[in-house]
Amino acid sequence: MSVERPSSWTVDSDIDGIDLDPSDFGSSIPLKKVPNGDIFEASRAGDIDRLRYLLETGLNVNARDQWDSVALYYACLAGHLDAARMLLESGAICSEHTFDGDRCHYAALNLKVRKLLKAFEARPPPLAPLQAALRETFLGCGANRAFIEQAASLFPGFASAGDPKYDTFPPDVTFYIQGRPIQGHRVILSARSPFFKKKFEADWEDRNEVRFSKEKLSYTALYSLLHFFYSDRLEISVDDMEDLVRICKVCKCDSLQKTLEKELIHQKYADYKALRDADNSQKRFILQGSSLPAEDRLPAAMSRLLEASLSNSSAYSISPNGGNSLIASVGKLQIGEFVNDLADVCVKVGKRVFRCHQVVLASRSEYFRARISRMKEFYEERDEVPLSKLPYLEEHDLAMETFEKMIEYMYTDSLKEVDPDQAEEMFDAASRYLLFPLKRAVADVLLPHLEMVSPAELCHWLTLSDMYGVLKIREYCLDMIACNFETFADTPEFRAMLLTLPPPSGDSSLRTTVPSAPGAAVNIDQGNLLDDLREKWLEAEAAELDKRDESALLFDNRLEMLMLVAKQENAANPSDGGEG
Amino acid sequence: MSNPQKKRNFQIEAFKHKVVVDPKYADKTWKILEHAIHEIYNHNSSGLSFEELYRNAYNMVLHKFGEKLYTGLVTTMTAHLKEISKSIEDAQGGLFLEELNRKWNEHNKALQMIRDILMYMDRTFIPSTRKTPVHELGLILWRDNVIYASNIRTRLLDTLLELVHRERTGEVINRGLMRNIIKMLMDLGSSVYQEEFEQQFLEVSAEFYKGESQKFIECCDCGEYLKKAEKRLNEEMERVTHYLDGKSEAKITNVVEKEMIENHMLTLVHMENSGLVKMLLDDRYEDLGRMYTLFRRVSNGLLTIREVMTSHIREIGKQLVTDPEKLKDPVEFVQRLLDEKDKYDSIINLAFSNDKMFQNALNSSFEYFINLNARSPEFISLFVDDKLRKGLKGVTEEDVEVILDKVMMLFRYLQEKDVFEKYYKQHLAKRLLSGKTVSDDAERSLIVKLKTECGYQFTSKLEGMFTDMKTSQDTMQGFYSSHLELGEGPTLTVQVLTTGSWPTQPTVTCNLPAEMSTLCEKFRSYYLGTHTGRRLSWQTNMGTADIKATFGKGQKHELNVSTYQMCVLMLFNNSDRLSYKEIEQATEIPASDLKRCLQSLALVKGKNVLRKEPMSKDIGEEDAFFVNDKFVSKFYKVKIGTVVAQKESEPEKQETRQRVEEDRKPQIEAAIVRIMKSRRVLDHNNIITEVTKQLQSRFLANPTEIKKRIESLIERDFLERDNVDRKLYRYLA
Repeated sequence: MSVERPSSWTVDSDIDGIDLDPSDFGSSIPLKKVPNGDIFEASRAGDIDRLRYLLETGLNVNARDQWDSVALYYACLAGHLDAARMLLESGAICSEHTFDGDRCHYAALNLKVRKLLKAFEARPPPLAPLQAALRETFLGCGANRAFIEQAASLFPGFASAGDPKYDTFPPDVTFYIQGRPIQGHRVILSARSPFFKKKFEADWEDRNEVRFSKEKLSYTALYSLLHFFYSDRLEISVDDMEDLVRICKVCKCDSLQKTLEKELIHQKYADYKALRDADNSQKRFILQGSSLPAEDRLPAAMSRLLEASLSNSSAYSISPNGGNSLIASVGKLQIGEFVNDLADVCVKVGKRVFRCHQVVLASRSEYFRARISRMKEFYEERDEVPLSKLPYLEEHDLAMETFEKMIEYMYTDSLKEVDPDQAEEMFDAASRYLLFPLKRAVADVLLPHLEMVSPAELCHWLTLSDMYGVLKIREYCLDMIACNFETFADTPEFRAMLLTLPPPSGDSSLRTTVPSAPGAAVNIDQGNLLDDLREKWLEAEAAELDKRDESALLFDNRLEMLMLVAKQENAANPSDGGEG
Repeated sequence: MSNPQKKRNFQIEAFKHKVVVDPKYADKTWKILEHAIHEIYNHNSSGLSFEELYRNAYNMVLHKFGEKLYTGLVTTMTAHLKEISKSIEDAQGGLFLEELNRKWNEHNKALQMIRDILMYMDRTFIPSTRKTPVHELGLILWRDNVIYASNIRTRLLDTLLELVHRERTGEVINRGLMRNIIKMLMDLGSSVYQEEFEQQFLEVSAEFYKGESQKFIECCDCGEYLKKAEKRLNEEMERVTHYLDGKSEAKITNVVEKEMIENHMLTLVHMENSGLVKMLLDDRYEDLGRMYTLFRRVSNGLLTIREVMTSHIREIGKQLVTDPEKLKDPVEFVQRLLDEKDKYDSIINLAFSNDKMFQNALNSSFEYFINLNARSPEFISLFVDDKLRKGLKGVTEEDVEVILDKVMMLFRYLQEKDVFEKYYKQHLAKRLLSGKTVSDDAERSLIVKLKTECGYQFTSKLEGMFTDMKTSQDTMQGFYSSHLELGEGPTLTVQVLTTGSWPTQPTVTCNLPAEMSTLCEKFRSYYLGTHTGRRLSWQTNMGTADIKATFGKGQKHELNVSTYQMCVLMLFNNSDRLSYKEIEQATEIPASDLKRCLQSLALVKGKNVLRKEPMSKDIGEEDAFFVNDKFVSKFYKVKIGTVVAQKESEPEKQETRQRVEEDRKPQIEAAIVRIMKSRRVLDHNNIITEVTKQLQSRFLANPTEIKKRIESLIERDFLERDNVDRKLYRYLA
């Protein structure tokens, strides 16, 4: 039976560290298909098609079956490298000193599997942009960084702190447990825990220092929990887990508490099975946010926060009558309609005022970080909404719909229903606010739409994507143009575009160095459009390698001709290039 | 819709920013930004809108005017810095640094604001074109336009060095300002700090300390100089922590060390009347400690101290052990050694932080000079003897231990340990037989110490002596319980000494008085009856006796005398006058012993139970002796000692020496055989070294002696010479 397998893994540059040949991933044994199997069966059988499907449904990759084993364990046991890798890339845990991680290491069929595990152990699955940004903000707080540095010296690999930027957003609350500080931000804590929300609304309202005197409260456990609040990744030593369960109970983090309790029972039970030779103090437990129900993860919490503040923001809409009613409405709002959104900054975009949270804006966008920290030094129109106590920012040259979409992405890392018409503005916003991941997100939404657009429109997108540096779209457009060059050559918009672009480099040496030669990649993101187009065209149309130069010359001549035509057209119809 | 003009009419330049069509767009926007930069430098930023400026910069970069923006920034900033540089140049005198500092802070603040405004360029345009990021650019421009400005560069350096100099001469300077300026240099890059300040600073410092050290060395004594050097060193370290780069500490202390200590090391150590020797003599712990900590910092510093100290100790020691005046009293002699050792121990402990190298040097010096005097082993043994005889009375056990430990320490320095053993055995025997030991515990504790130091072999005989004493007690009890009729008459206490364990000499047995000899016979038969296959011989030269005597006026005394003396005195029971000849005949005591014993009976004042005619100092062959009826003593018990030579006389010394040499022979032979047995074949030189090594815990074997022993072993067919190589020996067996 011949199974159609995806070509062996292209070893990407990140993984170069391990000596895995692509051939390692090939298997001489025909793999079994388990079309109806669950994730464990699929892992054991090495049926990656089924596995991929299952993973796409979003199930918990770290779940254990009735035999107390995770899917990765089966993949390692059976030596299915590509299945194991797929699981690892989906966030399966293989860290040292964790129950599941150690088991996978022990069970690894051969050295290749071990190598793979080692490579991923050193580099846990990267966090999504939102989690990564908030984690950086958390670790940027002086007290927290001090702790993580201390912990890193004790347990190498205890979540490396990375190199925090020197100017992260400052914390607004400090907790002291047994005299040791943890710093945090009210907004995040309130969003993730009803307990903190209540406390911050009531007796902690005006305090920026909270001292816990309870002996039983464990510093490391609370630290782990706070870290989890920011990053959706819990990393805790097994000894601290009971403390954390108690804290969760107080903080009303129900699903986390349940998961931990289950795990605690499991750990206790696992003790009987383990040889107990490993140093217990080093044993750890790692929980990915994906193990919790979606509504208890960070994006869901932030999205609730956003909803609350957006619903309040809508009330700000300036009525066409002018300023007076605005003040009136603000006055009304002050009385207490939106006390629950914890917003600490207002952003006015177009005719709408958005209530936002400084910590989120600053964590996600360097622009806002600088802007918020410089509010005192530069001029801001402070007195426009005199009754509001909140700091007030105004953004110009931006549609409020775009801003709304953008903050939706900033809070939740996801985009819903982007109108292709909005895409251009979104690209602009993403560049302007230095939200580079947003470009990719928009591009993903836009791509399917591009399949149906006219050549003229494609030219437009090409110029845009080149300008905003959206590689995915740019690549797509270039491919389309190269493959259908003649069609485009007949399009006046394409010819007109040629005129606006910088001329292609005449250096033939650049031409003969083939696309992905190491030295050629100097300026990958901002290369000359026409050079790139030529490469694409040569790939698609040109003769064999030895004829490449001739083909390239042909192409250059063709371009020149087209440009001449374009110039004539332009001269004939000067208004064409003008106002849009 | 907020943006009604944006429709689906795609045209090539359908950007929503219509600014692009304006050919003067870039210039206009740059004007705004340039103005903003000016305002920021002029502290007018509160009128500027961050959002607007950022948006303008962003749009410029987006529309490919990044290059213009960047060069514009460079030009504008350069212009400002030139102005600033001018105003700094104009600052007068002391205000110069303050102005520089103020401008630097302003520039920094402005730079940060500019960086934030131009953040988009910093993030996208600059990395892709590989230009210098804005913040670094600002620093570089500051460096090039301000610090490197010809009127500032040298002035800055001079001012800084001048301030340091003034602080060194005792003035108070503005350290905060200094710190800020130095910090600025460091922020501009460590190379700027090094080139613009550190290098010259070190040179000037070297010059300064060279002069100062010269001045000090001319007018101060060693201790004072060191005090000043230490103070300077601390000052420099403090200076580094206050306002210099931490990395400079090693460099500047190096300079001070080199100029103030290393270059004057020998002068200091040998300084007359205050140098190292003087400090050692006066126990100046503080000065010595200072010298140690300072000299440790430079290479060869400690070596110098150590060498001078070693040669000084050797000199002193040599005087101690070779000065004939000081050899008169062995106890004093050893005590002096111990005192010297204590002195240097406490110096090393208090001043030289117990440095191992110094301890080693001290030990080797002691070893060197103690062995200069061949009689040291004897004297040490005598010292112990003295202590164990009387010196330890009323001293606690701990103190005893301390004294014994000290003795052991001296013992360790001895090369000829077997000589010490020999003497120690003799002295111990005397102590045991005469019952003069103060404390059995002390004796045993010393033996245990010797045992741990030299092994079982060394002490087995000494332990044997103690066992003999114990068994003799038991034997005597047995003897009297089986001879109950002996309750009347003289009491005999016999100590049965195992031959070999004790330092006995084969001596002629003297004639005992009749009462005694019958008693002795009884004991002999009793002892030989209980132990078969043994031989008893009487060592009359080592015994003592208590006799009761009644003198002319009826005064009764109990006399404690030696066996010989007892024999002599018993003769006077039967006659009043005896001549020397008669006594000699009757007792058969060897002449030298007899003379000595008569001396002690007749010539010691207060203990002269005999009277001699004529009353000369020496005993002559013709002298006659009488009972001294006029003998008086305050005490009932009178102890009449023999006139013992405490120290050995010259012939005795030779004799002991000879015996030691004799004892060494079998030891050397045994060592040779042991070595050859394991090696089978070995050449001459190697045997010598191996033997010396094996025996050095006991004594220093003499190579010629070893050679003689080898010859003797060859004669006795233990070894043979190799036929081919005559230097090789083979083991036969």
